[in-house]
Amino acid sequence: MGVAMKKLVVWIAVLAIVQGALSNIVVRPRYARDFAPKSTREGGQLPSELIFLQFFGFREFLAGMLWVRADEFFERGNYDAILPIIRLVTWLDPHYIDVYATGMWHLGYNFTDEESRSDRRYIPFALALGEEGAANNPTTYEMFFETGWMWFHKIDDDYHKAIEWFLRANERPDILPARRNLLAVAYQRAGQIDEALNWYFKLLRDAEERLAKHKEYTFRMNRDTIEGNVDNTLVRMAQRGHFAMQRNDGSYETGAYDTRPPFDVGFSARIMVEEPLVIRVEGTWNVLPVGTRIRMVLRDADYEFGVPAGMVWDHAKDVNLDPPTDLTFMQDSLYVKNRRFSRRIDLSKDPTMYPFSKKTYILEFYYNPRSAPAHMQDKFGWSGEGMTDRNFLDTKIREGQRVMYCKLEMTQDQILRRGEWFDRTPVIKTTNFVPPRAGASPEGEVIIVPGLRAGAAKEGGPAPTGGQGGNGGPIATGVANP
Amino acid sequence: MGPANVVDNLTMAVEEGEIFGFLGPNGAGKTTTIKMLLGIIYPTSGEAFVLGKEIGDMNVHRVISYLPERPYYYEHMTGLELLKFYGSLFGLSDLEKYKSLLEKVNLHNDMHKPLSQYSKGMQQRVGLAQSLLNDPKLLFLDEPTAGLDPIAHTEIRDLILQFRDEGRTVFISSHELSEVERICDRVAIINRGKLERMGRLDDLLKGARVEIIAEGVTREAADKLKVGDSTVSHHDGRVIIDMSETEDTNAVIDGIRGANGKIVSVVPRRRRLEDLFVETVRTAPSATGAESK
Amino acid sequence: MRVILSIAATSVGEAIRRRVLLVILLAGLLLLSILPGLSVLSARGEAANLVSTMYFVLQGTSVLIAIVLAVYMIPNEIERRTIYVILSKPVTRWQFLLGKYLGAVFAVGLMMGLMTIVALVLFWISQRPDAGRLAQLAQGPFMFFVQMCLLAAVTIFFSTFVSPLVNFFLSVGMYLMGTTLNSLYDSFVKNPDVNPLVRLAGQAVTTVLPNFSYYNVSNPLIHPEVEIQNPLTYYVNVTGYGVIYIMGLLIAGILIFDRREV
Repeated sequence: MGVAMKKLVVWIAVLAIVQGALSNIVVRPRYARDFAPKSTREGGQLPSELIFLQFFGFREFLAGMLWVRADEFFERGNYDAILPIIRLVTWLDPHYIDVYATGMWHLGYNFTDEESRSDRRYIPFALALGEEGAANNPTTYEMFFETGWMWFHKIDDDYHKAIEWFLRANERPDILPARRNLLAVAYQRAGQIDEALNWYFKLLRDAEERLAKHKEYTFRMNRDTIEGNVDNTLVRMAQRGHFAMQRNDGSYETGAYDTRPPFDVGFSARIMVEEPLVIRVEGTWNVLPVGTRIRMVLRDADYEFGVPAGMVWDHAKDVNLDPPTDLTFMQDSLYVKNRRFSRRIDLSKDPTMYPFSKKTYILEFYYNPRSAPAHMQDKFGWSGEGMTDRNFLDTKIREGQRVMYCKLEMTQDQILRRGEWFDRTPVIKTTNFVPPRAGASPEGEVIIVPGLRAGAAKEGGPAPTGGQGGNGGPIATGVANP
Repeated sequence: MGPANVVDNLTMAVEEGEIFGFLGPNGAGKTTTIKMLLGIIYPTSGEAFVLGKEIGDMNVHRVISYLPERPYYYEHMTGLELLKFYGSLFGLSDLEKYKSLLEKVNLHNDMHKPLSQYSKGMQQRVGLAQSLLNDPKLLFLDEPTAGLDPIAHTEIRDLILQFRDEGRTVFISSHELSEVERICDRVAIINRGKLERMGRLDDLLKGARVEIIAEGVTREAADKLKVGDSTVSHHDGRVIIDMSETEDTNAVIDGIRGANGKIVSVVPRRRRLEDLFVETVRTAPSATGAESK
Repeated sequence: MRVILSIAATSVGEAIRRRVLLVILLAGLLLLSILPGLSVLSARGEAANLVSTMYFVLQGTSVLIAIVLAVYMIPNEIERRTIYVILSKPVTRWQFLLGKYLGAVFAVGLMMGLMTIVALVLFWISQRPDAGRLAQLAQGPFMFFVQMCLLAAVTIFFSTFVSPLVNFFLSVGMYLMGTTLNSLYDSFVKNPDVNPLVRLAGQAVTTVLPNFSYYNVSNPLIHPEVEIQNPLTYYVNVTGYGVIYIMGLLIAGILIFDRREV
């Protein structure tokens, strides 16, 4: 080989090394970060089965067509058929926010409509879908808001998670003004009342500025709504004793606040397994005004992600639409009417949803004033300071909160009516359960729902001196609107 | 089947200013030899020089040109555009020169027509025109008259003779032996890659014959007229005597008259290139070593 | 350089007259023209649909044009013996090869330019975007063009030693691999269960083979809400990668072609 040829071979080697270095060190990471189509959270690229999708430049078009098909399934109520379409469409087009949002709603809500189905197994996947959607669309508020909403409304627990997501949504400049209020409500649900008020004040300032620049009706309505929220919150804070100085032992200064004295809700319950996988739950709740929902959870005693009266809802890291079929987790609500509740729950409709394959189960009853409607919270307070139960008050399972929590145990044989229970009706009850007498009128003390009141604090109570807000300024001076 | 020697130990020289004919049967290695001289393909061994420089020297390519066998040009181009393209490869851009070259090859009126509309003869002529772009000292012409009609033949032949008159050296590879015989100064005949004969045409075609035809000569008398390597044959009552021109033809004529015969014709026959070619190719040893017929 | 450009210009003239290429180009243009009507079939946003399908048609047509054009660049010259006349002139083989490559690139660029203009005009008629958006959309086809330059270099390289039919399939295969390997590699490189040797082999293969997926920058262009910091830097880097790879391929092609019997 001549000298010139040898030089060329050396050049080829040099160029090969340079292009390899440039490719691996500079170009590839940048491409993966900024230009590669995002599909899944982990790994960052399409699953190998869908590598062929690289060639379909019209992924977005395909995604749209598939979603049209999904709509047909929605119309027909074929909810299971929609699941793979959700996954495929979001893989094809990770920027299709509508599908992420609708998919989340579908997974979180359509399987728990509480009439024919109460399948909470999909909620972790809904959260995973929301997180994936947010990761793939970080510049817009929508998926952050939707994920926060799932925590706030559907899960109705772990409100600090909802706050995290709402905060991230609020960082995005395109968030709709009307959706910003929800963060304040989430703060209240989490017991962070001062932060809620501070947020309302911030929204009010922003609304005033906006109205000053654009004197439009919608902006005025928005400002007025926020102002009303501020007023109501201040009144509630005052009436519920939030501004009262706290003693070192955590008790309030003496004063006739609405939350004093704590009201005994008198919970009791009885469960009868009327037929295999059919239970009747009844009991007492000494609160006459309408608005109480008691959460009931029936699950495997060793459920991996179980926590008292719930589960670790965000345990799913991937959107797996194939939930476990050997685990049982049932969560439902019991509505109280005339201080009693009674509900027949049929667990036999879908054996994959409730397999009851383990030997032992726990049955939990749970009530947290944080989730209560406002008129009930006016009595019970944000953290249950106005509520008690001589048998089932619990201050440990939810930090800083007073909740009602009752835990009973059941066996597989009882639920399935097998073995010794074949011809005997299993009955599990709290020790204080008393069957209702026919015709009997409501017994015991009747709760008085305070409601919002205009005017000064009640006589005998010290004037609140005002605490510190989160930003160092005073939360409020004085009480509510005169 | 292993590799074959297409050109085998070929050694020859072409003199400046001559028209050199390079002959051989199909597959003899003529085009391969030309390609090697042009640096289009590479010899396995040995060396070759063109205009005193080793083959492949770009400086040599500036002063040589090539007209391939059955040339094909870019059909979308006109004759003028083709010359412009090839001229640009030399760094030329003389439009007037291109036009004058086309006029020289009698394509002046067709210079703006696309080559797809050119006849075979016109294509050959435009090929000759492109071969003159760089005013070459040496032209390689591979089958320049193949497939042309007699008029085109004549035109091409005249052009080639003109090249020699202009002092250029022309290297022609051709099957048209009559044309080669007319215009070449020297020829080489190769067969199966080997050089069989080379030299001036006059020298190669020495050894003419004379043919005498007579009537009224008996067979016995005719046999007595044999001289040297002459042959006597009889046909239709005539005797045909074929003899070398070096023998005494007058004596034979006198002998015929002495035998009361009548001379019909005395025809001197020059040896033809075709005969030489056929004789060379047929008597060359075959690939297995046996003589070919 | 003059010689190279002359050969390139001639190659362009030849290429744009080849019927098969004109048919592919026409098919691409026709497809582009019906795309605005097709987008109503999909629930996705019309603009995103239109841009993604236009890019798909543009890229797919360009791949075909580039391969079909480059596959026959050199073999045609040899088959028709036009190469003999050229090489008998003071033209080296490397000048010839480079000229043919540049001719292929210019021809592909011309055709892609035409398709891009048609696509942008149709997009403008359908969506009435501002000039900034149109200029932004032109970035995609520009990157596709660099991609086609790389693909043409691959095809020209193969044409120095294989037949046109084999070259066609080799080039298509190389394009497919270069487009998918990145994703395949990334899908298993982060998996801790993968054998380190396999991981190393994957990295070697994706480093050696030309990576065509780098030039698919359509995602942020289809979804303008996706914010990219300083895309120009990326474009420069990836174009540099392409140029270096092309140089390597052409030099290798020259080495092979220089000793090839024509």
